[in-house]
Amino acid sequence: MGSYKQQPGASSSEVRKDGKRVAGKQSFPPPGSGGSNPTMRPRDLDFIPETVGGKEPKPAGDHIHDRARTGTSVGKSMPLVDSNAKVTGQAWYGDDVRLPGELIGKILRSPHHYARIKSIDTSKVEALPGVVAVATGQDAPNRFGVLPVTKDEHAMAVEKVRHVGDLVACVAAVDEATAIEALALFEIEWEELEPVFDPKEGLEDHDEPIHWRGKYHLARTNVQKRVFQEFGDRSLVNNPHAASHGSWTMSGVHHGFTEPHAVVAHWGPNGRLQLYTPQQVPHYTHRALSTVLDVPMHQINVIRTFVGGGFGGKSDPFPHEMCAAILARKSGKPVRITFDREEVYWINRGRHPSHIDVKMTADDEGRISSFDIDALIDGGGFASFGHVTSYYNGVLATAPYELGSFHYTGARVWTNKPASGAMRGHGAVNTRCAVEVGLDEMAESMQVDPIDLRLANLLPPHSRTISGFRITSNGMREALERVREGSSWDEKFRQMPLGKGIGIGCGFFISGSGLPIHWDPKNFPHATVHIQVDMDGGVTVHTGAADIGQGSTTAVAQVVSEVLALPVEMIHVRSHESDTSPVDLGSYSSRVTFMNANAAIRAAIEIRDQLLKAAWQMLGYHPNVLVLNDRRIYYKHDPAIGVSYLEALHKAQEDTGALIARGAYRSPPMGGVHKGAAAGLAPAYSFSAYVAEVDVDVETGLVSCTNVWAAHDCGKALNPLAVKGQIIGSCHMGLGQVLSEKMVYGRTGHLQNANLLEYKIPSVHEMPHVEAIIVESSDPEGPFGAKEAGEGPLLPILPAVVNAVYDAIGIRLRDLPLTPDVVYAGIEKHLKKEGIEDPLDLASPRLEHGPLQSTLKVRSDAHRERDRRRQRSEDTSAYVNGVLFGFDPNRPLAEQVEGWREADEPLPEQLAELGFAGRAWLKKEQRHMGGDL
Amino acid sequence: MLMPPFELHRPGTVEEAIALAASLMNAGESFDWVAGGTDVLPNYKWRINPKPHVISLAGVEGAHTLTSSEIGCMVPLSSLTVANGAHPLLAEAAAKVASSLIRKSATVGGNLCLDTRCFWYNQGEDWRRSIDWCHKADCGTGADCRVIPNQNTLCVATYQGDLAPNFMVLGASVVLIGPGGERTLPLEEFYALDGMKKNVLEEGEFLLKVVLPETAHQRTGSYQKLRVRDSWDFPEAGIAASWIEGQPESLAIASTALESIPRLHAEEVSNVLGEEGMDGVALAKAIHKAVKPVNNTALPPRYRRSMVKTLTKRAVKALLGE
Repeated sequence: MGSYKQQPGASSSEVRKDGKRVAGKQSFPPPGSGGSNPTMRPRDLDFIPETVGGKEPKPAGDHIHDRARTGTSVGKSMPLVDSNAKVTGQAWYGDDVRLPGELIGKILRSPHHYARIKSIDTSKVEALPGVVAVATGQDAPNRFGVLPVTKDEHAMAVEKVRHVGDLVACVAAVDEATAIEALALFEIEWEELEPVFDPKEGLEDHDEPIHWRGKYHLARTNVQKRVFQEFGDRSLVNNPHAASHGSWTMSGVHHGFTEPHAVVAHWGPNGRLQLYTPQQVPHYTHRALSTVLDVPMHQINVIRTFVGGGFGGKSDPFPHEMCAAILARKSGKPVRITFDREEVYWINRGRHPSHIDVKMTADDEGRISSFDIDALIDGGGFASFGHVTSYYNGVLATAPYELGSFHYTGARVWTNKPASGAMRGHGAVNTRCAVEVGLDEMAESMQVDPIDLRLANLLPPHSRTISGFRITSNGMREALERVREGSSWDEKFRQMPLGKGIGIGCGFFISGSGLPIHWDPKNFPHATVHIQVDMDGGVTVHTGAADIGQGSTTAVAQVVSEVLALPVEMIHVRSHESDTSPVDLGSYSSRVTFMNANAAIRAAIEIRDQLLKAAWQMLGYHPNVLVLNDRRIYYKHDPAIGVSYLEALHKAQEDTGALIARGAYRSPPMGGVHKGAAAGLAPAYSFSAYVAEVDVDVETGLVSCTNVWAAHDCGKALNPLAVKGQIIGSCHMGLGQVLSEKMVYGRTGHLQNANLLEYKIPSVHEMPHVEAIIVESSDPEGPFGAKEAGEGPLLPILPAVVNAVYDAIGIRLRDLPLTPDVVYAGIEKHLKKEGIEDPLDLASPRLEHGPLQSTLKVRSDAHRERDRRRQRSEDTSAYVNGVLFGFDPNRPLAEQVEGWREADEPLPEQLAELGFAGRAWLKKEQRHMGGDL
Repeated sequence: MLMPPFELHRPGTVEEAIALAASLMNAGESFDWVAGGTDVLPNYKWRINPKPHVISLAGVEGAHTLTSSEIGCMVPLSSLTVANGAHPLLAEAAAKVASSLIRKSATVGGNLCLDTRCFWYNQGEDWRRSIDWCHKADCGTGADCRVIPNQNTLCVATYQGDLAPNFMVLGASVVLIGPGGERTLPLEEFYALDGMKKNVLEEGEFLLKVVLPETAHQRTGSYQKLRVRDSWDFPEAGIAASWIEGQPESLAIASTALESIPRLHAEEVSNVLGEEGMDGVALAKAIHKAVKPVNNTALPPRYRRSMVKTLTKRAVKALLGE
């Protein structure tokens, strides 16, 4: 797109008569001069849908937003609007905020894994010259937490510390050296308690559970949350045609963002708090500050700085934010706290270390008759998002495949380690890997191609999963077909020499969480956007959406620019301050583009309608026959009859002044009614399929991923450049988890690698070539059809690599990450079993198609046509999980199938056979034990 | 992260440097030498044994010499290229150190004198407080070794420099200079088997340059480095080998990153050569037997030890052009 750029000093008098450009100046007229000006760009028909007269193909049919398309920005690759600020060093991150007279805050951290604080003497700290304020847990006893159901954090430890690095006290001093010196002067009496590190141990009773939940506490265990879910006919599990069972150990991983946490707090002259923080969820920080400080929300202004990477690691209200505010209140001066990298690892919120057990079966028609998942996840010292993670580990495996039955037991336990939380692909990544590898193994035992096994078992567009999730658009099939073709799968799979392998993996992820977690979804929207257009014609968009580098500001600017047919440079997004931004819940669960852009479109349409009304008054043509294009509004059949954008704007502003509009988004009612039905519920879901190619050095166990074909269904790529960036970035992050990244807890329970040298994020050398393939299924409710692209693309890379390693060396490995020692140990074990001396003599696996292969082919061909018709709404009949097994989607399944069960608690006879996490169901809550009420 | 304060001294000649060191010693002040600073200064930021004085060798005359037979301690790793006359084996090894950015600052002297590493030791102050310190940086507590507990006499931190084994197999010597005068030692005698003492440098003495014998240039070599990532990472195990082509008796093999010192395996090599000739597998077995890594780096010791076989086999193969 040749974008509008106003050069300093350019004016119409400098436009040459011969039409050539003046050197160094651009000849674009000022915005909105319009009229019959010949410099108006023609409509860009390639970016106007064919459904409204353009040339952009719409294979999925029309979309409610098609009529708002002007061919201006949507679908065009453009750099993020804040990229100039970043590449010129002008973006202001947390630690860039310098207020006059600032003090430096430092946090005293626990040297113990688990201990009671018997006393803290701060007198020596206070006596140190240069120390201005000191605070301990006693200064802020109110609890907070990102989820309202699990508020278990304090600004600083009130009674107990729960992991090495937990916050004990803080100090503000005139400079960093004094603050560091002060930390050594705290005198603390500790009573050490018996720590728990192994999550399996967390399932057992303990003298001193890490937290106490009163009557809801599960016996005296450290179980924070247990989940049981069962759907379908469990008798299908018996006598399967094929089966697979894998027990996995997945290490905890950290987001590894570039910017360490930093915060600046200042109480202004009128007693209001200003807090600068790089946050994904400034609104939740706002709420937590209010609770902890006992100050009404309107007396707090949370300013989100630029965020140097978040990935879920900055999506909790944090104790250090409270500390800065407390120190600033005590000292009357601005206080800045910046973390060292070690502190970043201690606050953590990374992916849960997990033990995952996946069993699955298939019947003699190659249908997936069951998924049995057991996930024991290690939450560390605090709840964070863990309540949700406990569900996600199971429920996000209920698609994209049609299942005969689904059984999930999950438990999250507290341990004396830094808290786990939400990380890109929240809760879905580990189970997804186990499931996709299980399918690969099952395909092998069935002697079928694993891609064909998947293609013959996909849920169609506009269907319901076994757990009741509403699937709308679904590009899973196209994604699979395109990576199969792109990677030359059929010429490579099970045909390459030893050490070279290729593997497939799919992904399924939420595009926004269906329910806002802090308030009544029936009353309040998830996102609100305000738009204001004053005399100058510039469009100011106010949104609370937190741009964390993913490009949410750009997405909003693009959709507003699209609706109003204005260059994106005329859209100014203001999203930093809670004082001026309407509430947006934050950047998590891949919700922002879907929800916030939907809200922005609504607001922009309102502005557009006011402009069209003004043009109608000026031109006498009804808005239905008026066209918006490049700062002009004109009669559809004669562009010469029109007004400039500015003329229409000024007309619309007569008597009223600046145009102001707001738009909001609320997800439609959906989902089942069972316990936990809301977890995993989303207004849309993304789908992805990746093929990865690896080289395995069988003599060292080193795995390198060389090529990835990555297809992701994001509904509609509003900005293909940004979507590709997300896909490639997700590959990098997922490769880290599958090959080298690992939070190492040594024999003493200490985190051994809290630094970026030993926490091994892949370097540029480890990065494969990634062929990013964008699949556009056009979601009926997404903004211009868009769905998420920020998290889902991470999921498939893990199983694709693990499956490729199997293809290369014929060994199934289930300990992540696949560091060379893990791979080599697997090879050694295999050699011993097979009685082979030299690893170079290993045999690569080969595939000879069995009779089921053709059954699957026939079925997937038929389903391709089924899916096409449903995607285009040519077939709008109901489709629920179970139709593949011959059930009538219009009648309750429980009526049709004997043994159909929907349950959120195990039957007594099931207790004996539950997996690790399932053992949490052997315990009773205190209220059922006559205990602590 | 705040750098602890220190006084920086910048002598212009070797004599000045030694005089400075001597005067600090007389005054009872402790100090460190610094060349590129890529090892010492990060440790300082972590408050690992910081000293009040630091003497920089950057301005010392003669410390930057780079000829085919003499390499000054201040020569940055990025300059060790074949184009600059460095031995191809040294160029190969230098290019595998850390990252291109670090190689611009990091020096030959610094790499040879690299502090030994251990995941109980290379940590911030708060972290080390949480384990009650360790033998190597005990903060006056007399703390035990955390790798092999119940023996607070020996430090088993691992030497993870890349250049040392390569210099060793080329027959290099080092020139040390200090208040007691100048001395020249074969590199393999430079290291001392203790993670704290590390090498034979006396207080006030520093490594001025490395000298290669004439024969070094007849040698071809190979350096096999085991690491998880092809950038940044220290070796988890490293094997260097060289020979004068066609002369098995000239074969030299050295290892690094497996113990507190890099080692030239002269005895193991000559035993195998005597019995089985230049046989990669036999050499691999002999060297595998000779090293005993401990659990203090990123990868487990059992694996690192197993890899000694693979790396040795590959290094010998490379010499034989297989």
